Amino acid sequence: MTIRRLGLAALMAIATLVLLAAGYASSGGAASHANTPEAAVRSLYDHVRTRDFPGAFRYVAVASNTDVERFTRDVAGRDGSLRTLSTLQDVNTSVLHENDTEAAVRANTHWSSAVGSLYDSRELRVVRENEDWKVVWPSDKTPNVPPQVLALNFLRWEIIHPAAGEDWGAQNAEAPRVRILNMTPLQHDLGNGLQGVMILGEIVNEDTVPGFVSVTATLLGANGESLGQETAFDKISHTLLPREVSPFRIDFPGAKLADIRKVTMEPTALLVPASADPVIGVLHQRIETDARGHKILKGELVNQSGETVNIPHVIATFYNEAGKVIWVSDGYVDHALQPQIPEPFQLEVRDDMGATPRFRVTVNQYTIERQGA
Amino acid sequence: MTLSSPLQTPGRAAIPLNVILLLAVAVHGPLLLMQLPASSYDANTHMFFAAHYASHWFSPWNDKWFGGFSQTTYPPLAHQWVALFSHILGLTYAYMVVQLIVILLLTAGIYRYSRLWVDERAASYAAIAGVLLGSLAMLVYQSGQLPNTMATAMALNALPYFYEWSRRASGASLVKGVAITVAGAAAHHVTLLFGLGLFAWPVFVLALLDRRNDSDEASVAGVISRATVFAAIAAVLIAVVLLPYFIETFQHPITQQPIPHGSRDNYLKNTFSGLNFWVIPYGTLILALPFIFVRGTAVGRLRPLFFGWWLTTLIGLGGTTPVAPLLLSFRNAFNILTFERFTFWATIMALPLAGLLAGELIDRFHARAVVGLWAAAVFSCAMGVAWMTIHPINGAPFRVDQVISFLNRDDHSRFRYITLGFGNQFDRVSTFANAGSVDGTYNSARLLPELTAYGSAQLYNAKYYGTAGMDSLRAVLKHANQYGLKYIFVRDRFYEPLLAFAGWRQAESYDNGSVTLWTKEDVPPAHKLEFGAAPPPAWQGVMWGILPVGASIFAIFSVLGISDRRRAVEPIPFPAPAGEPAFREAK
Repeated sequence: MTIRRLGLAALMAIATLVLLAAGYASSGGAASHANTPEAAVRSLYDHVRTRDFPGAFRYVAVASNTDVERFTRDVAGRDGSLRTLSTLQDVNTSVLHENDTEAAVRANTHWSSAVGSLYDSRELRVVRENEDWKVVWPSDKTPNVPPQVLALNFLRWEIIHPAAGEDWGAQNAEAPRVRILNMTPLQHDLGNGLQGVMILGEIVNEDTVPGFVSVTATLLGANGESLGQETAFDKISHTLLPREVSPFRIDFPGAKLADIRKVTMEPTALLVPASADPVIGVLHQRIETDARGHKILKGELVNQSGETVNIPHVIATFYNEAGKVIWVSDGYVDHALQPQIPEPFQLEVRDDMGATPRFRVTVNQYTIERQGA
Repeated sequence: MTLSSPLQTPGRAAIPLNVILLLAVAVHGPLLLMQLPASSYDANTHMFFAAHYASHWFSPWNDKWFGGFSQTTYPPLAHQWVALFSHILGLTYAYMVVQLIVILLLTAGIYRYSRLWVDERAASYAAIAGVLLGSLAMLVYQSGQLPNTMATAMALNALPYFYEWSRRASGASLVKGVAITVAGAAAHHVTLLFGLGLFAWPVFVLALLDRRNDSDEASVAGVISRATVFAAIAAVLIAVVLLPYFIETFQHPITQQPIPHGSRDNYLKNTFSGLNFWVIPYGTLILALPFIFVRGTAVGRLRPLFFGWWLTTLIGLGGTTPVAPLLLSFRNAFNILTFERFTFWATIMALPLAGLLAGELIDRFHARAVVGLWAAAVFSCAMGVAWMTIHPINGAPFRVDQVISFLNRDDHSRFRYITLGFGNQFDRVSTFANAGSVDGTYNSARLLPELTAYGSAQLYNAKYYGTAGMDSLRAVLKHANQYGLKYIFVRDRFYEPLLAFAGWRQAESYDNGSVTLWTKEDVPPAHKLEFGAAPPPAWQGVMWGILPVGASIFAIFSVLGISDRRRAVEPIPFPAPAGEPAFREAK
């Protein structure tokens, strides 16, 4: 075999290696060192994205005074919270200020969770340790409550089902009476830049038994034609105890208020077993203005029952002076509610509602043990 | 038919093809009898398609997925043969039998394809290696890609006829080659578009190189014109046989967002993808790479094969090199295709050279080489099969009988359903349940805007697609009333919070609580959806029911019924002149 023939093999082998190297380089190459504050934050979150928490902890500064277990619990969540059912999708970082030894970096994170997208924003202090930058991770200092016995006295409704052999799903019982108290159509940004019409309102269970309610709205055009039909989906508390009121919001992406002649509302209700427990209190509710100048509703949730609430869902209803609903805002809290331990929440608020609108906060919840079979 | 001169390496005979086919039965028969592919990614999808043909042979419109879709979006041959056998064997065993037949065809195809490049003995070693190929084991037992393996087997069997026709103008070869090519296209469209091209151009160059060998006197123009005639006739016939597919593709081009797939990763960055899509499929064939580079470039007649293999290998590396993203940049093909099939084809192209290597090792090391090579080949196959256990694609097994039973009683099929966390068991539910679903497994057939706009695949795997998957699921749930989507079967509690907050209630549980049924009370019964898809006209259904399977039957009869032109006996100088290789093909 001549050298020339071997030369072609070598040439092809080199070409292959070059192509592999080019592919490797174009996909980001080897993991970069945290030689800038922003790189340190990005590297930390890159490891969080792949759920490599020990790897992420390598970018945490000693000054954080935390350990890898506490860091993992903080980032990955615990107690069946929404964060435990979330995966980091994207992170955007921006340096707020920087000097030779210290910097502040804002990290806007986008998480995919069991209930949809979650967004979080943190301002992180980054310090230089030896030649690398490290992130000062504020350790989660959840307070502990002392052991105690909690006496609970709450209402509970059960349903006795008919004997086997009846039609599947048939209740043979009168549905609870529900009524829509309030309904306001509104042209507005639905989020993510989508314009559309939203139907805001409240529904009340007027009966003496609990009901599982849904609200469907149908938009009718000038000639009575249907322009769309949507439901309140998760912007409502579906389980209503007797006399309980829930806000609702129904979004119609792409619809125009001017095209709508009539809105048909169709509330439905089903008799269900229900419990007044867990009771979740809302403390220190107030509207503040954040660093970007947007209004936010802040407060704290307190689980007054004896079991963990895994996923709280906060719905806020805003009223004008006449008592009419002018906005409904909702959000999920990604920390579980431990009994008696306050947990902060915040919701975005329309900026054009006036100085101090009246509002009411209700809390919906999902608890693993209750939903189990 | 006549292949290149079958000169033998002195002292050792080729292993007869019949024996190799028996080996294929011995290796794959028991695995298929155990129904291993039934838990693969796609086998249940293909059984779902087949089940529809078994009961609606001339009606390709299927109401059970996506609120209704046309099965003309997928070439039907593999499904139709499974459907035919299912009347005798039942659906699952019919699939296994067809898969076994395909493996036998593939083994024969590898042998015949290898004979184009190397002598009979090396080709027999290549065919044995083909039986134990890691990529074949992965494709059959992990991916469940029956149509792909069927189309590849057809392509490999058609190529020697293409070579023969191009070089010697044998009319019988033209008929047989075109018939098999058309049948292969009726089995799998991606293999037709990409695989056949990658396999065919080296053979075409070989026909050019060999045009004056063996007393033939073909001209370059003659070879080119005959190859063109072959391609043109095949293209016209494929266009006719698959006309409903092309009409459907034209009417509903794939405009959906790209769906992530590990085979597009950079394998050096994502080592699991590298293992799954390259190392395990190649298996111990990786050890032959230096030989492939050296011998493939050194011998002029093998260079077309080498360059074909090299290009296919680079494409099979997905995003590891810039080659696949650049070559497949048209119409977003890189983000639509998956690349495990390219690696499968690359390993097949490597086999003739691996057969040569095996022959040389056996000549030099005798029994030790036989033992080593056999162990290496068995290890490749074993790893391909064992990979399913090492990295299972399904969670703990569970029963879906009760789910199917629920959907088939008390008029529950008036409503649609989805499953969450069922994995490929969804296909099994949809095969046997009368109710329809808005979900489905064959992504290219989707037209519902909630499914195509988000860049995720099946709803039952929504969480694995991150925000795109969960947003797609939310969008579908929001429109549950429009779609008549009343029932949701959940096997992964991850999805329960969304259902609970969105207005579904848990109603029943099955399989000792591992599966729960969630219902929504205000959902009206399902009705026909208006989203652009419509059943194909009746004449397309008749075409679809007759031409693809007819093409395959014609191919079988043409191969069995048309005799090859026999070449005259050629005297071989003995002893061979010094310095010449003992086999002419690898000169």
